[in-house]
Amino acid sequence: MTLSSTAATASVSAGVVCDVAAACALEADAAQLLALRQGIEPACGEPLPASSLKHLDEQTLVALAAVYGAIRAQDLRVDFQRWAVVAAPRFLGRAALIVSLQRYAVEGAWGMSPHFIPHRTLHSVSGTVSMALGIHGPNFGIDGGPAGSSQAVLAAATLLSTGTLPGVWLLLSGWEREPLVPLAALVGKHEAFPKCRAVALALVPRGCAANGLQARVLPGTLYRAGSNGTTSRTPLFGLDELAAAVAAPPAPGAHVAWRLCCGGKMELANAADGATP
Amino acid sequence: MTPTGKVLITGVGAATPLGNGYQEIADALLAGRSAVTPVTSFDAAQHPSRIAGQVHTIPCPAGEEPEAFARRERLEQLVLWCTASALEDAGWWQRRGDVRVGMVLGIGAEWLKIWEADALRGGRRIHEPERDAFSMIQADQAKLGLSGPAVSVSAACASGNHALALGKRWLELGWVDVCLAGACDSGVTPLCLAGFGNLRALSRRNDDPQAASRPFDRGRDGFVIGEGGAVFLLEPEASARRRSARVYAEVAGCGATSDAYHMVIPSPHPEPAITAMRQALADAGIAPESVDYVNAHATGTPVGDSAEARVLRTVLGTAVTHVPVSSTKSMTGHLLTAAAAAEALACLVALERQALPPTINLDDPDPECALCHVANEARAHRVRTAVSNSFGFGGSNTCLVLRAA
Repeated sequence: MTLSSTAATASVSAGVVCDVAAACALEADAAQLLALRQGIEPACGEPLPASSLKHLDEQTLVALAAVYGAIRAQDLRVDFQRWAVVAAPRFLGRAALIVSLQRYAVEGAWGMSPHFIPHRTLHSVSGTVSMALGIHGPNFGIDGGPAGSSQAVLAAATLLSTGTLPGVWLLLSGWEREPLVPLAALVGKHEAFPKCRAVALALVPRGCAANGLQARVLPGTLYRAGSNGTTSRTPLFGLDELAAAVAAPPAPGAHVAWRLCCGGKMELANAADGATP
Repeated sequence: MTPTGKVLITGVGAATPLGNGYQEIADALLAGRSAVTPVTSFDAAQHPSRIAGQVHTIPCPAGEEPEAFARRERLEQLVLWCTASALEDAGWWQRRGDVRVGMVLGIGAEWLKIWEADALRGGRRIHEPERDAFSMIQADQAKLGLSGPAVSVSAACASGNHALALGKRWLELGWVDVCLAGACDSGVTPLCLAGFGNLRALSRRNDDPQAASRPFDRGRDGFVIGEGGAVFLLEPEASARRRSARVYAEVAGCGATSDAYHMVIPSPHPEPAITAMRQALADAGIAPESVDYVNAHATGTPVGDSAEARVLRTVLGTAVTHVPVSSTKSMTGHLLTAAAAAEALACLVALERQALPPTINLDDPDPECALCHVANEARAHRVRTAVSNSFGFGGSNTCLVLRAA
């Protein structure tokens, strides 16, 4: 699929409506993570060198694989050079920090890996994806905790609202359950090794993609019953909720809505029959 | 331009190694003194770099019990002090519940900092994920009673400029009435010092701390780690004028790009950084020769400073011979996630005082960094437009233009 360069002019004061040009939700177990680390087949661009893959956080690996998966799923033939990347990893680096704390206690400063800061901090996912796809637009990470998913949606919508970017990769990632021991200690223990999850959405200005999937982000104040049309029964947005919606998108004309815990709401709609969220 | 018109800075809250609050920091910046000292908050004897720009006392904001404040994590103290005092300085503190106060903060690796601090005290919080329900920005919002949208961003040293750009945009879109934007970091921790030290990014001039941070100098050997924060209250011009608020400056332009080259090493290709600067100047509607002052990112690393000098020479063109450039990291150290925000504050000082903060320790300027340096001493200068560069790990390049308003 190619993308139209003629985007509709949308009023953004009430929110940002954009097309979802491609989406992919992935999860990886220990064996799949190992395979990704040994070499992710790029959907475009040059493969990252093995020396980089070796040190990437598991969330970065799965997020990058999700980006490639989204590109392949829609056969996106796009120059990503001017795109942006907004990534919200959840508790990135917890297991690696457990190792670092143990080594620091025994070995002192010498025990701290020089690869920790580049690859286990919040911008690591977005920075790596920008390198892999040759993206020269802005890249940054978001929050790092459970609220990060909502915040990332708002940040991505803000970037798209400027009208200067052809697209934004929105990446959410996290563990099925938090790994609380060094991951190396779990290798071979299939039941104990949690799955690592990621969702990638390629957001483009409204009118640029033709697959019918649209996202609408409505900013707002923090949740109060009834504000922004939300109720206490409106589910909270998060990685798992978005992954489920990507795996089973709304039927034509239907949509799903979530509350953003940082204020406002997000809707994902299938406008294939002309319906608009 | 949107119906909002200009976006102005009407409040500042800050804590840096040079002092706390705008006036104290402004005086120290123009005095040209170093705040770099040996690390005192933990035993750094085994570290390759044992010096830092440290915030020795973070003030307790109004309305907070000092004992409760003292129990908070250091980064949380910085965030709370900077946001509360920015609201206070802007005159919005008493009325903060009446308007939609947004918040966009660069906060550096908050979970890693919380887990590390707890573990070094003997705690096990890193093994107790059920305790990690709320992030720092959510806690700060709740503490201050704010209801607007809030986002925390992380682009390493460039975070503060991204925060200001997002906050400005929210005001232009009418999503908030006023917005807190800035960044905080508490990077002077054992693991952080060790991590950057083992990357060989830090100065090892441990015997002469005040001379260790020396951007653009031929004798530079790495940056000096620092900590602190600066948060600004952004407000639409109409609102600020209506209430006769003190105006520090207009947030006139922002630019942001990525190198897509390496997670740590600056790209040998200067085009992305050049583009970020040109985006910001275009956003502000000014020509390079109209720039009155550049606060450079220049951290004091051999590769980074000369790379930025090449960028500045390209962007400024013939004006490079007379546009003054300085790096205030020479005095504060490198505040990491908070660096861009702290250096935006230095630009406000230049605009308000009509004087340029210097690059201290610039005794032997590197010919590869040939620029119009403000070397070692502050000097009087007419400043209407100030530019601040901030580049970060992950390949981020950002540029901010602040203008007298």
